[in-house]
Amino acid sequence: MKIIRKTAIRAEIPTASMADIAFLLIIFFMVTTVFSSNRGLELSLPREDPSTSAPSPEEAVFLQVRPDSSLLADCRPMQLADLLDYMATRLEKNPRKPVILYTHPDAPYQAMISVYDVLASAQAERGFKVLNLSIPTQRDMDEYVRLFGSNPLEAACR
Amino acid sequence: MRLERSRKAEAIIPTASMADIAFLLIIFFMVTTAYEVDRTQVRLPLSRTRQESQKGAAVVVIARDPKSGAVSYRFSDGRRTSRAVGSPSDVYLEASRITYGEPTRPFVVKADATLRYAQVDEVLDQLRSAGAENLVLLTRQKGAKEPS
Repeated sequence: MKIIRKTAIRAEIPTASMADIAFLLIIFFMVTTVFSSNRGLELSLPREDPSTSAPSPEEAVFLQVRPDSSLLADCRPMQLADLLDYMATRLEKNPRKPVILYTHPDAPYQAMISVYDVLASAQAERGFKVLNLSIPTQRDMDEYVRLFGSNPLEAACR
Repeated sequence: MRLERSRKAEAIIPTASMADIAFLLIIFFMVTTAYEVDRTQVRLPLSRTRQESQKGAAVVVIARDPKSGAVSYRFSDGRRTSRAVGSPSDVYLEASRITYGEPTRPFVVKADATLRYAQVDEVLDQLRSAGAENLVLLTRQKGAKEPS
């Protein structure tokens, strides 16, 4: 009689290289990962509508950023640290009062952002919100100059 | 005489959990990874208030060469990697293409802090003309480390 040798093969999944593959993937993701840094200040652009005009400085809070980065609030020099106090007083009666932020074309972008940052922080710092902020573009100003012969926002402070 | 039993312990590093740890790390990186559509080095302005921009927002880059002062523009629809565009009017064309199909698509403006405001204003004006409404002006957290 022939004796049959027991040759049962154990089923096994070879996992020796799994860790290698996994670490390879980790390195790939570590190298390609860029943690999202898309944070900034929200800004809503007005719709293109020729019938809507910018509010005039007389009926609004008029903030002007000058080429030397200094700030004028209603034509008076203003420190950034004092701006929120001033805004709180001006918007106390009418929170929907328009606020015009006009930046001179030669002013640095950072100067405009600094002022805008202070206005955006009003809710968190003082509990009120600048609801009606208008940032006129240079094209708006050119249009005014064409119609009235001078920049009304700059002329308001003369 | 007492016979010494051979008790050689085999040195083994337990590697059973290594794959688990590795896969955990992979999942972490897969979840947190965000492929940036634009990697242009720009000195962003500083601000204290910062909101997260929406995912898939179109990106407009206004970069300034610190040595020559030359201004360059890049645009991305938020899905493909950004590419150079010649002027703000090209930004208008690209933005119009997006707002035509998706009027509410947000835009991200990544502009250099040292630019003259007129150069940013020109792009904002083109975006407005193209029908863009929701913007995020990218900034850096006040007190954050200066990028090298």
